[in-house]
Amino acid sequence: MSNTEVPIVIYACNWDGLSCVEAAARVGHCYPSSVRLVRISCLSRLNQGLILRAFELGAEGVMLLGCSPGNCQYDRESDLVSREYEKARAVLRLLGMDEERLILSHIPRGDGYGFVRQITAFLDQLRAMRHAVPAGSL
Amino acid sequence: MIDTNIRLCLDCGKCTVVCPVAQRDPDFNPRLIAQKRLGRGSVDCQDETIWDCLSCYMCVERCNYLVRFPEFIHAVRSEALEEGARLQCTHGGALQSYMHLMARDELRQNRLDWLPEDIELTEGCDTVFFVGCAPYFDVVFEELEVETLEGVKSAMRLLNKAKIPFDVMDNERCCGKDLLVQGDREGFLALARLNADEFARRGVKRIITNCPECRYCLAVDYAKAVGDTGIEVLHLTQVLAPLLETGDMELGRAAIRATYQDPCALGRCSRVFDEPRRILGAVEGLGLSEMEENREKALCCGASPWVHCGAVNRRIQKDRLAQASATGATTLITACPKCKIHLTCAQRSEDDISAKIEIKDLASVAAQSLEGR
Repeated sequence: MSNTEVPIVIYACNWDGLSCVEAAARVGHCYPSSVRLVRISCLSRLNQGLILRAFELGAEGVMLLGCSPGNCQYDRESDLVSREYEKARAVLRLLGMDEERLILSHIPRGDGYGFVRQITAFLDQLRAMRHAVPAGSL
Repeated sequence: MIDTNIRLCLDCGKCTVVCPVAQRDPDFNPRLIAQKRLGRGSVDCQDETIWDCLSCYMCVERCNYLVRFPEFIHAVRSEALEEGARLQCTHGGALQSYMHLMARDELRQNRLDWLPEDIELTEGCDTVFFVGCAPYFDVVFEELEVETLEGVKSAMRLLNKAKIPFDVMDNERCCGKDLLVQGDREGFLALARLNADEFARRGVKRIITNCPECRYCLAVDYAKAVGDTGIEVLHLTQVLAPLLETGDMELGRAAIRATYQDPCALGRCSRVFDEPRRILGAVEGLGLSEMEENREKALCCGASPWVHCGAVNRRIQKDRLAQASATGATTLITACPKCKIHLTCAQRSEDDISAKIEIKDLASVAAQSLEGR
């Protein structure tokens, strides 16, 4: 992976989250191939372990892409997700890794352009972090 | 594997009789695991039972030839992982992940933000207080409200009170004990080398820990892995107990009826049985009653190194909590943050009957007694 490519993992829920990714693909919006997508049934199935595992395996950033508040197909998302999300961020803080490397994103259903815009901004942010911290500190 | 004495095994089965797991799970048989391995000479990766051992050292206590079965099992697990066995990590593997992330050479942790202002550190001191994973535990186990950091803060306050100067390391790594126990030797070595380098860089001569597993790992496992560094490693209780005896330190008052859980790494592994009891004995008004199984025979808190935790582990924990309740004590005191986590976890499960007993860290009880003077 070249210097300009930033490996990131997106955990996308099967419903609103994935619909944005599919919408982007349908209309040909591009985003870098260093973005790895993991489809899960609902973000409530995620735990801090899976999030940290992505970092352990070399991801520089992780995006949790879920349904808009109130839209969860299983009515379980918000509390569970925010608890595990906050825990993972707290562990990143302790490790001295910028907690902004983990983001929780809610994009309206089917908004492909919104998804690409957000992923591009996230990648820019992560690239900037590379320069902000001593080389190789991740 | 040779230095575990496993070839001296007589096949007598005492290990299996005293093993807390084997007593509750007929499928787990330490004697048979050893015999199979010695007979065939290779590891059966399909044998799921190799992950059930708690490393509580109860078997070593009874074995006439001091076969160190837990260390043999660590080596067997290591081979199994190399052969492609998969771990069933608890808590989504969060603990393993942060341990592996901590092994990154260039990491600059931010692990001391919680340090209260009243704790006095002596910068550059050759005695170091090894904090351990408590800051991480309090995040990962947030819903259990175990507050293992309170034990660490109390330990530091007690050292201040005893006028023992110490420093802390801002980039301390996990000691790696859990990785070693689960068979991840490479992960353990990475952490051990980083910590040992940092000790050498700082010129550390003495390490004090609040976690018995850190003590045992830094003193014994590090010596085997990275060579003898000549650093003295002591558990907090080993530092404080002599001071209480000579009268150089006094504790305060706490009117509680308590019982004491011997952590395996402190008791059977490190042979520290009396020191914690002496500290508790020095707290005025603290009535200590022993559980049915105590000291060398103390029942483990039922924990595995964050892998393969199941119904049998839960039964061990519930049995231990029942033993604690049977003493009539209102507080179960332990000197190990992991005992506190695992027993609290059992207490929070729905069908628990012994939820009334409060679980406290020994350092917290001792430090709070000073406030009650």
